[in-house]
Amino acid sequence: MIKVRIPTPLRPLTRGQGEVETKGGSVAEMIDHLEGMHPGLKARLCDEKGELRRFVNVYVNEEDIRFLKGKDTVLKDGDEVSIVPAIAGG
Amino acid sequence: MLKIPQDILDAMVSHARELAPHECCGLLGGSDDLVTQLYRIKNVVALEGAETVTHFDESKVAHLQLLSPEERAEIAFVMDAHEQALALKDMRAKGIRLQAVYHSHPVSPARPSLTDIKNATEFDVIREKLNLPKPLYLIISLQDRVNPDLRVYTIQNHQAVSAEFRAV
Repeated sequence: MIKVRIPTPLRPLTRGQGEVETKGGSVAEMIDHLEGMHPGLKARLCDEKGELRRFVNVYVNEEDIRFLKGKDTVLKDGDEVSIVPAIAGG
Repeated sequence: MLKIPQDILDAMVSHARELAPHECCGLLGGSDDLVTQLYRIKNVVALEGAETVTHFDESKVAHLQLLSPEERAEIAFVMDAHEQALALKDMRAKGIRLQAVYHSHPVSPARPSLTDIKNATEFDVIREKLNLPKPLYLIISLQDRVNPDLRVYTIQNHQAVSAEFRAV
């Protein structure tokens, strides 16, 4: 089981849940699985080519997947994934 | 008290002036309350008008769709997530820590907007879980073009509190 932290702006898609449990052997599989559970999430995270959008960081445990293997980063049971919007303000 | 070298203060003002009327943004790294490194981060929103950034438009639109109309009216900077991650990684490699997040207010005072406070509060919750240090927030106001105003705040629990800094 993989635990995924959902940031506030995406919680309308997860019925308000800040953490969801999912599965998948890689980040890409995990995102596809999340999409099955909560349709619309994938489009928020990835562009039409499947690449991570430029205002989203995804961490596995405490490491940014951009410095691991991106969406091919391997996940194992018990990993914690955090979806973190880029720092923004007004 | 946060200590910021004068050349880094000057560099932030230069950055703000270069990006005006858009907001600039970046990160300050250092240790023991002394800033030693400035990281300019691309503002995805500020690139909207540039000729070569059509590929950013969709992401910007998608991001803005997540916000209420009031929030959309206020939002003015979104850090390029990749550059933000690179800066944090570089800090780790140099053995320094995130000290402050800076951005500019080209036409308004140097105090956090409602969006600034809301976003910083949300970041505060998540950064603890990611073992990132708690940053101060520095705002450069260009409201007075001749005399830019720089101010520092702590932001948590939906409250911004003025903090001190010293030029060194």
